[in-house]
Amino acid sequence: MLHERELVKMPDILTELQGLRTQVPHLTGGLVATTDGLVLAHDTNGLEPEGVAALTAAALSVGARLAEMTGQGVFQELLTRGEHGYIATYAVGTHVVLTLFAGANANVGLLHFEGRRVGERIAVQTAALLQSHDRR
Amino acid sequence: MANVELALKDAMNSIDGAIGVALVDYNSGMALGTLGGGTDLDLNVAAAGNTDVVRAKVRAIEMLNLQDAIEDILIALSSQYHLIRPLTSRSGKGLFLYLALDRTRANLAMARHQLRRVESDLEV
Repeated sequence: MLHERELVKMPDILTELQGLRTQVPHLTGGLVATTDGLVLAHDTNGLEPEGVAALTAAALSVGARLAEMTGQGVFQELLTRGEHGYIATYAVGTHVVLTLFAGANANVGLLHFEGRRVGERIAVQTAALLQSHDRR
Repeated sequence: MANVELALKDAMNSIDGAIGVALVDYNSGMALGTLGGGTDLDLNVAAAGNTDVVRAKVRAIEMLNLQDAIEDILIALSSQYHLIRPLTSRSGKGLFLYLALDRTRANLAMARHQLRRVESDLEV
């Protein structure tokens, strides 16, 4: 897994997260974390990223098991709706997830569209990073 | 009265030049049903994009204090027409029909007329 020292700054991913705010109205924040709950980049606007990443990892493992057990294959997305908005989690490659927060008036279709698109770009960036780590 | 699937089929079959049709929830931006489209026209993306169009127009009407509602919205591209028709029935509140037409094959007046009929037959 990634070492803490290498994660200090991931400016490209942070730029992607911040860019999403202009693309998706009512988006309130996002974070990129590993599937075991380590934060890679966050733009969470007051929320405590470590806690959210840890909960995301827990929800993800339940979602992945549920998808597998019911014959729906590999985990792709998880959408949670609360009284005041949405939390969407997208698989980004095999070891990384993107979690986005949006208000109750958010356009979920648009959230999915932009979330998936940015997820693909982040997958490329994080895959390169994980590879360079593995070589060492 | 037709269910969603039948209404979409009716729209695709009865309206000349129809490329794709969708029934969309503009509270969430998600499509309740789609028919047609394809690689050139992803109807789920169209649903999300046009949700913002409908929301903006609803807001504009509110700001103008018009006490009125959208009957339909026409967007003319150089090669296509896009027709948006919010549902007026009580059960269809918050939904709109989206229809993409090939401009070379479509008759706009007939398409509007047919889409009005599809809407009135549709029971959600």
